[in-house]
Amino acid sequence: MTDLSLSRPAPAEAPVPRALARRVLPYAMLSPAVLVTLAIVFLPMVQTAWMSLHDYVLFRPNDFTWVGLKNFRAALADEVFWISLGHTAIWMAVTIPAQLLLGLVTAMLLNQPFPWRGLARALIIIPWALPSVVIALMWVWIYDSNYGIANEFLLRFGLIRQAIPWLADPSTALGAIILTLTWQGFPFFAVMILAGLQSIPKSYYEAASIDGASAWNQFRHITLPGISGVIMTAVLLRLIWVANSFDVIFVMTGGGPGYATYTLPLYAFVKARTNLDFGYGSAIAVLFTLCLMGVVVFYLRRSLKGAE
Amino acid sequence: MTFARIGAASVLALAAGLAHADSTVRFWYHFDNADNPMDALVAEFEAANPGITVEAENVPWNSYYDQLYTAIIGGSAPDAAMVKMFAQPRLVEMGALEPIGDKLAEWDGAAGLQDNLLDLTRAADGNQYYLPVQYVVLYLYYRADMFEELGLEVPQTCEDFRAAAQALTRDTDGDGQTDVWGFGFRGAKGGHDHWASLTLGREGVGLQDGLTSAAGVAGTQFVADLFRTDKVFPPSAPNDGFQEIIGAFKAGKTAMTIHHIGSANGMVEALGDKVAAAPVPECGGGRWTSFGDESTAVLSSAEDKDAAWKWIAFLSSEGNNARFNEATGQLPVVKADSAGWTLHPQRFVEATVDSLPFAHLLPDSAATADFVNTVWPTAMQRVLTGAITAEEMNAEIAALFDD
Repeated sequence: MTDLSLSRPAPAEAPVPRALARRVLPYAMLSPAVLVTLAIVFLPMVQTAWMSLHDYVLFRPNDFTWVGLKNFRAALADEVFWISLGHTAIWMAVTIPAQLLLGLVTAMLLNQPFPWRGLARALIIIPWALPSVVIALMWVWIYDSNYGIANEFLLRFGLIRQAIPWLADPSTALGAIILTLTWQGFPFFAVMILAGLQSIPKSYYEAASIDGASAWNQFRHITLPGISGVIMTAVLLRLIWVANSFDVIFVMTGGGPGYATYTLPLYAFVKARTNLDFGYGSAIAVLFTLCLMGVVVFYLRRSLKGAE
Repeated sequence: MTFARIGAASVLALAAGLAHADSTVRFWYHFDNADNPMDALVAEFEAANPGITVEAENVPWNSYYDQLYTAIIGGSAPDAAMVKMFAQPRLVEMGALEPIGDKLAEWDGAAGLQDNLLDLTRAADGNQYYLPVQYVVLYLYYRADMFEELGLEVPQTCEDFRAAAQALTRDTDGDGQTDVWGFGFRGAKGGHDHWASLTLGREGVGLQDGLTSAAGVAGTQFVADLFRTDKVFPPSAPNDGFQEIIGAFKAGKTAMTIHHIGSANGMVEALGDKVAAAPVPECGGGRWTSFGDESTAVLSSAEDKDAAWKWIAFLSSEGNNARFNEATGQLPVVKADSAGWTLHPQRFVEATVDSLPFAHLLPDSAATADFVNTVWPTAMQRVLTGAITAEEMNAEIAALFDD
């Protein structure tokens, strides 16, 4: 203690440098993270926006012509853009609630005391921990119309009379992939909600029981408010991840048959990486970012209003 | 004194080592076959050329060209790579290829290549960038035993083909469900060869001309009808790729399909004498099949172009080319290697040779890459699933080549 007090600067000089250091220190500590984020997130974002205003086809590297909003006008007049946007809306509107519901049920079950509960909690995380490509390939085999286990089960139970080509039929392909992604993503909700459930004091339920509250009323008035913060954060994160995720679609169908499983991120990727049309691909990516930003802002406003 | 000598010798040896170890050839290729002989070929080449190290990388076929183009733009292109003709116009436009005409003129091996292959692979600008390394021609695989069982003849025309496919599509175990389909159609990327064989042989029809004519539309409609009306393709056909069509044929789920000699040995392993081959049928007055080319090229960004040339010339030299093709299951481009070729059963070599007179390459156009990678697969899948008509598909392809 004595040493510390001795090492302090003389009181007369202290205020200015210390105040300065206190002001500068947070920025100095934050700057590496900010610089890295600027370099790997914001710079590519600005570059994408810049490219979207140019005719830029990668196999003509010297041809980088300013075209203003031409790519955006072309996208808005492009049938495939609207098909992809529609699929993206279905993709998000079905996948996230399905994951949330399944995650909620799983978390409630895992919150009950039963033997080997620890093991069950560990196992439930497996779909979330597997790489997307592995999951996609696994489910391609499950859906296979000749050898797939899905058709085998349904045929044996007499639920269908002829094997269904789940991924080759435009009416079932998107649904089949949504089911895959639901399976992959629900453990995230389960784990998050389980953590929320464990933070609700037992005494609330005991008091409610004494007052004669039914199980449903306990769930509605204690459990749901207790986990609403967690659900809001989890939904927001998944909203962004699910909207952007196209790796599972890419591996399972490549967007096919036709455009039956095209979503906007996939369309932007195919345009840029396969057709090498980076100008148009960037325009689609920018439009998609704007749409997603709108959805996120709307969701945050609604959720925060609800929380108040 | 002794120490000084040892020291001097060590420095010299080190310097010699450095001087020899400075050339590395990064080579990209794609082999489906797990039995990959590339390490052995590399070791042999390095032993014969002490100054050069070859780093050969097997890049998955599905994203081969996506990766290649991206690497070229990103400045990390390989020094040499396996390449197909359909990619040449785009690679030339990117300035990514190194002309090898001068080196070919000095190379002894050039005279030993199969006739015409260098002409076929010459670029539209008159330069030679490609050195052929293997070739195949697509033909019809059929189940000889099923044809015999049903008293069918090998189809000579599209009409025969349709009738045979209808007869071959059946329920063999009496459970009320179709379990063998007449033809395994490849509806995913790479399946343009199947469609082309049933469409582009028609009189006056080509990818760059006549596709929107009545004959051109009839070709696409023929394919659509086989799936939608006759139901002679497996229901998964719109999404089926190489693995699926070959797997289904080997498993006895389909009775015919179109592919090249590269699959012959695997088919014989699975089916023995039950599998046979014939040229694709004549449709609308002519035949069309795909000439499946594969070459190697030196990239213009290569650090040591001489070393890269030596490596690709090594792969197209007598003996080495045979071993390369033993692994890929395709046919050697070196005459001497071809002469003693016993790797494939004769019936498949015959089907290849009989198909050569009407084998074609895809057009030498920058649009061909988009046709193969996105426009054809998407449009075909949409026709097969009833989202668009045959006319609309052909118009879309014609518009792509018109641009």
